[in-house]
Amino acid sequence: MRLTSTESMILLNALNAADRSQQNALLQMTTGKRVNVASDDPSAAAVEVQTSDQTSGCDQFLRSISSVTSELQTADSALNSCVTTLQRAISLGIEGANGTLSQQDRDALASEVKGISDQVLGIANLSFNGHFLFAGTADSQQPYVLDPNAPGGVAYQGNDFTNQIEVEQGHTVAMNLPGSKLFSAAGANVFQALSDLSDALSSGTAIDTATESVRTAFDQLTSSRVFYGSTVSQLDSDQTFLQSEKLQLQQNSNDNVGVDMNVAATNLVNAENARNSALAAVAQAGNLSLLDYLSKT
Amino acid sequence: MGSLYSALSISVGSLQAQQAGLETTTNNLANMNTPGYCRQRPLLQESNPVIEGRLAFGNGVTLSGIESLRDSLLNVQINGETQQQSKSQTFVDTMNQIQPLFPMDSAGIGDAIGGFFQSLDALAANPSDASLRETVLSAANGLASSFSQAAGQLNSTRSNLDLSVQQNVQQINQLTSEIASLNRTLAITASTGSDYGSFLDQRDALVQQLSGLTDVSVLQNGSSLTLTTRQGTALVVDGQSFGLTTSLDSNDGTQHVYAQAGDITAQISGGKLGGVLEARDQTVPSILSQLDDLASALVTNLNAAHQQGYDLNGQQGGDLFNPVTGPGAAGSMSVAFSDPNLLAASSDGTTGSNGNIANLTAVATQTLPNGMTPIQTYGNLVFQVGSSISNANAELTASNNVLQQLQQQQSSVSGVSLDEEASNLLLYERAYQAAARAISTVDQMLQTAINMGAQ
Repeated sequence: MRLTSTESMILLNALNAADRSQQNALLQMTTGKRVNVASDDPSAAAVEVQTSDQTSGCDQFLRSISSVTSELQTADSALNSCVTTLQRAISLGIEGANGTLSQQDRDALASEVKGISDQVLGIANLSFNGHFLFAGTADSQQPYVLDPNAPGGVAYQGNDFTNQIEVEQGHTVAMNLPGSKLFSAAGANVFQALSDLSDALSSGTAIDTATESVRTAFDQLTSSRVFYGSTVSQLDSDQTFLQSEKLQLQQNSNDNVGVDMNVAATNLVNAENARNSALAAVAQAGNLSLLDYLSKT
Repeated sequence: MGSLYSALSISVGSLQAQQAGLETTTNNLANMNTPGYCRQRPLLQESNPVIEGRLAFGNGVTLSGIESLRDSLLNVQINGETQQQSKSQTFVDTMNQIQPLFPMDSAGIGDAIGGFFQSLDALAANPSDASLRETVLSAANGLASSFSQAAGQLNSTRSNLDLSVQQNVQQINQLTSEIASLNRTLAITASTGSDYGSFLDQRDALVQQLSGLTDVSVLQNGSSLTLTTRQGTALVVDGQSFGLTTSLDSNDGTQHVYAQAGDITAQISGGKLGGVLEARDQTVPSILSQLDDLASALVTNLNAAHQQGYDLNGQQGGDLFNPVTGPGAAGSMSVAFSDPNLLAASSDGTTGSNGNIANLTAVATQTLPNGMTPIQTYGNLVFQVGSSISNANAELTASNNVLQQLQQQQSSVSGVSLDEEASNLLLYERAYQAAARAISTVDQMLQTAINMGAQ
């Protein structure tokens, strides 16, 4: 083959190639990603679209969990103090059943029971972040209002519905209990029972029966309240699961589109070397030709 | 028998021949960096001998012509590869402008789809919260605008490509008319028998430029070239060029390319024009129509879900997005209302219910008519854009390598070698010196002969 001076073309191609791989290696090292645009690895990019979506989905589920958890905990601790006051009401009833008490003493007990009823009413009307906790889904208005015609003088304005919230892909939990399952359940209405007890203490008749119905209402409240504790602990384990899933997703993403720093660094060094040696080779060879020698003679 | 005078005329012939050699050498050196230049060499020939009886005396050297060294087959291969290379390059350049519209993680349509459904998840925790409702509405607007922006950019890329079709056709017409005019010049010079190497060089360079623009087949016909497209539409026949025209097609709203035979848009497969047409008529419309399908499916499904619920005023939900279908759906996607209270999150009409949010978020996992969920559909689009570029890139790299090989081969045939020219320079110089010396020797001999008479 006849050789001609094509070194400039060859040099240019070599330099272009070296520049390209140098740029690529630099980009990979600075972004930490092997796939920076879809054309770098189309199928990895398509997978990354979903991984990225799932990761931000995990973030949202974690935010939902923390917001729901604080709501559930607020409700739970309110119900806890409600349980304590109802216990006090029961012991007041037992105390009032003691036949040795005077009318005056029983009146004092009756008024304490009324006070307890007011406390429970306050708890039942508790709101969190601008909505009422125990109103079912009709949570924009106060669920319990005083109404002389209602049982126990307190009427329930909420509904029986609960809200569900998704805390993992395809997994939902209930995030509230309506007041009708806690305070005003049929046959276990707290307000009715407290009002009856207060009346019984005032009149001194059927105190035992009234105390018993307070106990029934108390049992209903305590057993329903378990929902809050168990949901919170379930959300806890969901949270742990989501955090590990998020880590796993990040790991997947890293395996999929992340760069092996050792490889990228080696690529960078190789590209630099290729560039330097191409330049050095040209500097060495120069543009020597027969003409240079002829002009010297 | 030879005479002193015939020796003198042989030497003068030699002087002329060496001078011609020197001239071609210096011309080669002068053009060593001229694109398309093919090195030349003098064709030296022994002159016919002088025959006297049984003796034949050599009669010196004759310059019979100057020859350009070219390999037509290599030229054909280079033209073919240039068409491929230029097509891939144009396609890659175009698609690289589109690729940023389809990022794989942050920003873009995928992010907007995820962001919208996540804002709904956040609203589920407190469905009557005004700021969360506002967030959902702005995420919905973000979703709509991500679609309309991407569609808008794709459409403006298409109209830029349309402009580029017109420009390429103008350049093609320019080149074909220059080639036709060179064909005419060559027909004249060929008939006079004079050297036409440099015209051939010019014409070859023009054909190569034309190959960079469109697919072209070359038929050599004596000194004349006939150029057609791959499909046989004539571009240049002898001294006549046939211009291409563009005109707006009313069916698809793009510029179509016409030859005398009619619409040849779909036939053009090579060169810059081929790459532009592939992107404009195939890749971009396909992406755009998938984007439209995704947008209209999302709008339909989300609206259906939204209508099942009740807004904050207790009214049955209406459309969440303005209904769009068919071509242009992505481009015109928009949210139907601006009052966050109209978001139908409730399933029972109370303000605190979040029951309908589950219906809305279910759209995220619902499969569309194409059998994929919305985010999978987007992922698939990312894949298609990416793989169209990476495939074209692979073709481009291969073409570049082949082209480099071919150009090296061509340079080996037609390129100017400095060493070779330097040694030729030396040869012609020495031969010239020798001929000059012969002349002065003959001169001395003539003088001797003349002086002989004087004695």
